[in-house]
Amino acid sequence: MNILEAKDIHKYFREPTEFHVLKGLTFHIEKGKFISITGKSGSGKSTLLYLLSTMDTDFEGSIKINGEEMRGKSNRWLADFRNHHIGFVFQFHFLLPEFSALRNVMLPGLKRAQQPPDEVEHKAYELLKLLDVEDQAKKRAVLLSGGQQQRVAIARALINDPLIVMGDEPTGNLDSRNSAIVFDLFSQLAAERGQTMLMVTHDDEFAEKSDHIIHLADGRIDKQ
Amino acid sequence: MKIAKDFKLAASIAFTHMRAKLKQTIIATVGVAFGITVFIFMVSVMEGTNEFTEDVVFEQSPHLRLYNEIALAEHSILDRAAPSAWNVVHHQKPKDILPNLKDGIRAVEELGKDHRVLAISASVSTQLFYRLGSASVNGRVLGINFENEDALFALGSKIVEGGHEKLATQPNSLLMGVGLARKLNVATGDKLSVTTEKGDNFQVTIIGLFKTGLTDIDNQQSYASLKTVQRFLGVPASYITDIKVKLHDKELAPEIVEELENRYQYSGSDWKKDNSALLEGNVLRNMITYGVASTILLVAGFGIFNILTMMIYEKMKDIAILKATGFSDTDVRWVFLIQAIVIGFIGAVMGLIFGFLLAYATSRMPFESDVMITMDHLPVSFKPIYYISGFTFGILTTILAGYMPSRHAAKVDPITILRG
Ligand SMILES: Nc1ncnc2c1ncn2[C@@H]1O[C@H](COP(=O)(O)OP(=O)(O)OP(=O)(O)O)[C@@H](O)[C@H]1O
Ligand SMILES: [Mg+2]
Repeated sequence: MNILEAKDIHKYFREPTEFHVLKGLTFHIEKGKFISITGKSGSGKSTLLYLLSTMDTDFEGSIKINGEEMRGKSNRWLADFRNHHIGFVFQFHFLLPEFSALRNVMLPGLKRAQQPPDEVEHKAYELLKLLDVEDQAKKRAVLLSGGQQQRVAIARALINDPLIVMGDEPTGNLDSRNSAIVFDLFSQLAAERGQTMLMVTHDDEFAEKSDHIIHLADGRIDKQ
Repeated sequence: MKIAKDFKLAASIAFTHMRAKLKQTIIATVGVAFGITVFIFMVSVMEGTNEFTEDVVFEQSPHLRLYNEIALAEHSILDRAAPSAWNVVHHQKPKDILPNLKDGIRAVEELGKDHRVLAISASVSTQLFYRLGSASVNGRVLGINFENEDALFALGSKIVEGGHEKLATQPNSLLMGVGLARKLNVATGDKLSVTTEKGDNFQVTIIGLFKTGLTDIDNQQSYASLKTVQRFLGVPASYITDIKVKLHDKELAPEIVEELENRYQYSGSDWKKDNSALLEGNVLRNMITYGVASTILLVAGFGIFNILTMMIYEKMKDIAILKATGFSDTDVRWVFLIQAIVIGFIGAVMGLIFGFLLAYATSRMPFESDVMITMDHLPVSFKPIYYISGFTFGILTTILAGYMPSRHAAKVDPITILRG
């Protein structure tokens, strides 16, 4: 079953000059697979990921997630959809600096409001434990190291059991040990819970281990 | 239910923001509190003063009065001689008429029976000189029936020395204004002489002193019996110059004046006309008070606007993250609007409390004034409406100040921020 279908996606940047970044991408992703997106710097990996995450709505073509068309939906609908179904790890880990690590992880869960706050908190704590940062739970996010912040951000992406977890170089700041922990966690979630993993990476080793690679070059898919 | 939860979550984020930016939050709150404090204080004191003066003045002001105005003849004799021509008379002189009310006594009797009239007092007034030794002071004397005048102006309660009892019985007795007595350096029991406009001299005795609080009256007026003043002027007992009336409903005064003017051919005036300068002054003072207070609140509102706008620029990344993880535009707007509302609410409540305390302290302050003779402390008004309007205005200003930055925050496109 296809969890995500992209059809003939074009993306233009109009400022400062018109720039055709993505030139007709068509692909599909099966549920529960671990997919890597590779390509050299500036090839449009992040741009593609933002489109797939529903945050960037300015494109041509069609994106269907879980059978639902993303084009033409309202901001509110998309925000709710992201909250329920998409976990996102940014290229530059972005936490809310004034909130504790634990609170950062909890916020999307509190927003979803499907479980009582103490259950959300418990779950957040378990995730931090899985990522080996539970000792930082009560610290304010600004005080954490880059790698710690990235792991907290990963925990946040997982809090609502999303259908798809998207990451923009989610292990970019991690040492090889933690990198391996994250990779194993992702593969495990994919295999056991059927969550789909979609990761942009520069790390060839990381990419080789995944189920599929989408390689971008010159705004097109090179090999799949 | 979901909405309530969303709101609670937005509030918890808002409070975390405010705690992180405690100093700016406090400054914004103090700004609002200051605005409201000044508003409450100014309105209380201004209105207090207005009410005080109004009370003093209106107590001395009849609802309506009738008198005879010395007017120029509207038609000259020339008009009668040459009715079809254009007649211009330069430097026309007023007719030499007596300033008394024709058939005044009958008018008083008729008005006394009018069911709209509560009390009525007829009087004779004239200018004269008070003389004591070489001192000569220009002033007025008002011939009255004490009981009638008392019913209108509570004259009895204004007497600070001596008494009024002998006014009617003892010829040439005077009740004198305290200011006038001070100028002449006389006290109850003293004798002095008065000179009328015609040059007649009379020996008078002071039987008491009064104090109305109005400098104009206290510094130049005396009361005597009708008969005494009529004797000064050498006129018969039917001679009266003023009729003053107190009505059951003072709002009816203007129309009743008009009716009486037509009926008796007298000139008339009502309390609104007589005190129009005071009433207009009140309006002007109120405008200034509200103007100044609103300006201060507006400045406080602008402070909130600035602080929130700055906060939102600092928090662009946070806003983007919130949106990326599923917070809606509305949630984000609430995060910032709640901050404005909390600042506005706390600031307004603090402002009300400080404003009240300041006004209260002022009302306890001893204060003596030469102009307001009956005042011993600053008059302050404590009407709830000032507090209600101050609170409402403060909250409205802050919500307005918070609304625009919040809308801006809600519109932030997360992707442009997250791209870095
Ligand atoms: N807002 C923008 N306006 C104009 N051009 C942009 C904008 N954002 C990205 N680009 C351009 O689009 C291209 C793709 O950018 P993108 O960030 O997707 O690259 P990337 O593959 O993620 O690179 P990296 O591996 O360095 O993160 C680049 O050439 C970049 O300069
Ligand atoms: Mg990138």
